[in-house]
Formats: sequence, structure tokens, C-alpha cells
Amino acid sequence: MTVLRLLFLTALLASSQQSVTAAGLPSWLKLPGRARKAAVELPEHKLRLGEFTGGTGTSAQKSLLEELTLSREFQLTEESPHYTVSGSSVGGRVTGKLVRHADGKLLFERTYAAPGLDENLRLLADDVIFTVTGKPGLATSRLVFVSDRSGTKQIYSCDVKGRDVQQLTREPEGAVSPSLSPEGGAVAYTAYKAGFPVVQILDLGQGWERTVTDTPGSNFGAAFSPDGERLALVMSFLGNPEIFVTDLNTNTAGCISDTVGAPSGPAWHPGGKQVIFSDDRGRGPQLYVAEVPEKSGMQSRLFLWRTGYKFCTDPEFSPSGKQVAFTTRTGNQTSVVLKDYPQGSNTVIQADNARHPSWSPNGRYLCYCQYGSLYIHDLRTSQRKLVLSGYGTISEPRWMR
Amino acid sequence: MTRRPLFSLLITGFLGTCLSACTQISSTFSEEETEVVFALGSREGFTSPLTAALKPACPAIEFSANSFSLNGSHKKRLHSLAADWPKTKPRYLVAGYAPPELSAGYSRSLSERRAQAVRQFLIENGVEAASLQTVGFGHDAVPSGPGNGVVVIYRQ
Repeated sequence: MTVLRLLFLTALLASSQQSVTAAGLPSWLKLPGRARKAAVELPEHKLRLGEFTGGTGTSAQKSLLEELTLSREFQLTEESPHYTVSGSSVGGRVTGKLVRHADGKLLFERTYAAPGLDENLRLLADDVIFTVTGKPGLATSRLVFVSDRSGTKQIYSCDVKGRDVQQLTREPEGAVSPSLSPEGGAVAYTAYKAGFPVVQILDLGQGWERTVTDTPGSNFGAAFSPDGERLALVMSFLGNPEIFVTDLNTNTAGCISDTVGAPSGPAWHPGGKQVIFSDDRGRGPQLYVAEVPEKSGMQSRLFLWRTGYKFCTDPEFSPSGKQVAFTTRTGNQTSVVLKDYPQGSNTVIQADNARHPSWSPNGRYLCYCQYGSLYIHDLRTSQRKLVLSGYGTISEPRWMR
Repeated sequence: MTRRPLFSLLITGFLGTCLSACTQISSTFSEEETEVVFALGSREGFTSPLTAALKPACPAIEFSANSFSLNGSHKKRLHSLAADWPKTKPRYLVAGYAPPELSAGYSRSLSERRAQAVRQFLIENGVEAASLQTVGFGHDAVPSGPGNGVVVIYRQ
């Protein structure tokens, strides 16, 4: 059977290779080119920051400049810009408009009336980024994480700069293993209800919470599917832990892992048809990819995805689905590693006890924790920023997808 | 189980596929193969060590590194526990724990798997499946006693 699986995997890899190199030598014959330092690329879109009128206009313009500079999505320039953002601001309220120069079209004009000037400008900056690039901005995106600062493990959220920290759960016996829904409106997590692990969903907007699975044994590791309609999670009521995919509308669940080992950490492919997870079948945790059956009763195939490491946990697909970030362990040290999917080279992003990576929605950053602090790592510049530290011991960070 | 008709259906549905899977990948395991995997019964009436002070039924069963198979001394200890069981037929909660240096999700799964291995052995030695319940705490909770890569059997 293992041989059959290997064959499946080879077939999968072979088919993916063909699509990459349509002509010329097969890719396995080509020697890898010498690693060359990539030239610094300027962002493709040129944006002009226009005038902001009104009483708080000057400070609005200054804050917006800061947000847009930090986003690194634009060349902020006065010379032949593609777009101009301008507007007005009175008493913290902001009206912004974005004009495309190619045809002079007004792309949007919106008023932001949230309580704070800075929050309004973050919303405007994200709207500009989304309208121009089609990718979600980070200024309004949030991270969830677990911290033990209150004595028990509870789930908290913060923005990408580590500000505005909110405690989301107040479970007497603790709550762990959070995952944010695609729109960021709900968080799924494991709560120790009456001391037993149960998977729940908390709606952040309306405040209701709902128990998804309360089966005998353990329930944990919930991960929202890209459409937000399903959860992948670990349940052990069968007599050993297995990965299940549960449909939140019908409350049915199907097993996809097919193991007698210790599976954990499921994460979805952005296409919503595959789930990657870590599974220890007696020789340390390895990464497996399971197809998610579209209808119940359908057989799903399972592949072992070789990474070259003997101990891999907490995998997560990049938003493009072309890379996987995961945690490895050698000796007593953990590292965060990036690997191309379905095949390619490994890149160690951060060694020295870094663990549990999670991708930013635009795929440019990874967040992870290291010695109980939360970091954000820019994958293009390889620079990282300490986002939150000294806030209890931080673990299991997840970025809003 | 009447309260969860869905999962009782699932148990019957997936037990079959699970059993066939066990035989497929048996070669990866050095330990002897378990023939039947028993699904868990209802958790109703079981108390968690997080909410009450519970007495361990026997000394904690320590596992090394990330192993989840039972060795000779584990089996010896469990044998005597299983032999005593028919006298009073107590109910046991088998709780797994893992050391903090392992990743959080993996440690939960590993500790649950260890608890299931202990439960499986007890069932094979005559303890009724309905009197056993498992839970894997990973390193979210600290066991009472020495070592943190352990399985503790709590008397209910």
C-alpha cells in the first residue's frame, strides 16, 4: 500500500512538473541555477498622495502616508502617477477618493466615520490597496494568539503592529488552538468546557458562541476552510485521533486522515480541496496532504509530502497555495521553514526556537512565535519585527485569512 | 449516545474504513498490531482533573520522547490494574500529557494517542470499554506528579 501511495505521489509531482516546463529539458535534468541576489524591485503601481483639506486634513495626510509607505504596495511619487488619493478630514472623520489617471475615472469616494482618525485612515489605506492591487491590505487585518498571562491559556487578538489587544475568551479552564474565519468575523477554538476539550465558534460581531463538536475523547486543531463553510479538525472518538472535515451548515463530518498515529495541525489549501496536516505514524511527525471529498462517501486520496525533515508540525499553505510554511525540530531546537509546493527547495526562515508560522493574507509576511513573543517576518526583505512581547507566553498565532 | 445520533452513525460508518486502514500501514509499526480499535463511549458522568482533585489509580505511565507505544513495564503496571478491575468495576479517565517543548497541536494529539494506547491495552485485558474515557491535554495542563510526558489514569 505504501508503494501505491508513493506511486500516487510521483504521479502528482510529475504532472506538476510538466505544467511548469512545457518545452525544453525536463526540469529534473536541469541543474539548479546559482543562487543570485534578486534585484530590488520597485512596486509596480505609482500613487500620488494628494491634498487633504479640512481641520484634521494635515494629520490625516501624514498618517495615510505612513500607512501606505509601510504597506510597500506603491511607489509614492509625484511623477506620472497611475493613481491619486485625496480627500478631506474634519474632526477625525475622513472622506477619501481614488482617481485613476489613465482614464480619469473616480474609482471610489467613501466617508469613514469610525471613532478614531487613525482607524479611519487604516480603513482608507486598505481600500486603496485592495482597489489597486486586488489583494487585501494589512492595516485592518488582525492576528489571534494564545497567551497564558491571566493564569489560564486564553485567546487574544491584536492588529499587525501589536496594538489594540483584546481578550476574546474567558473560559474558566482555558481556551487554545484558535483559527479566524476568512472574513475575520468568527474565531474557532478549543475550549476546556468542564475540563474537556470541545471545539467552539465565537462570532466576534454579535458575540454568540456555538459548540461545533463535543465528541468523547479530544477535539482540537480547528481550521476554517477558505469558504468559511467547513472546519478541518482533530477528533478522537473513533478510538484514535483522526483529521475530520466537518460541514458547519449540516453538522456532518468525514474522516480524511486514515491513520493509526497522532495527526495534528490541519490547514487548508486555498482552493479548498486539499488539507495538509502533520501525522506521527510512529517515526515522528511528517506532513501529509489529503484530498477533501466533495460528497460524503467519496474516497479521498492521501499523500505523504516529503520535506527532507524528520519532524514537521503546524503546516500552513501560503495564500497562493505555492508554498507551505511549517515548524521543524532538530535536537531541542525548532525552526520555521518554508518549502515550495508541490516540490522545491527548503528555506529556513527563522531558527532558534521559532515555531507555528502563519501567513499574512497577501502572502508577503509570516507571523510566528519565538520564546513566547510574537514576530512578523517580511519574506521579501528578510527583516522581522517584534510585534508583541512580555504579554504572558504567546503561542499558536494565526493571521486572518 | 442517543443525544448524538450523528456521531453514532459516524462511528459505525467510519470504523469500517479505519479498520481496513490499520492493516494497510501496519508495517510502519514496530509494536504488535492491534486487531480492533474500540470507539469511545459517551463522556457523560466523567469528571476532568481540571475541575476536581482526582486520585490516580496507579503511578503515572511515563513515555519517552515522542513514542506512543507501550513497553514491558507499562504493560506490567496496566496488567495488575486490569486484573483488579472486575472486583469493584471502577470507571477510569485516561488523561495524556506532553512536555512543553513540543508544538502545541502535536502535543495534544500525541498525548491523546498515548491515552488511547493505554485504554486499548486495558480493554484488551478485560476492562469494559464503557468504563474508560480518554482525554489529551498536551501541555495545556500540568499533571500531578513527576514528569510531563505521562499518561495518568484517574479513578472517577
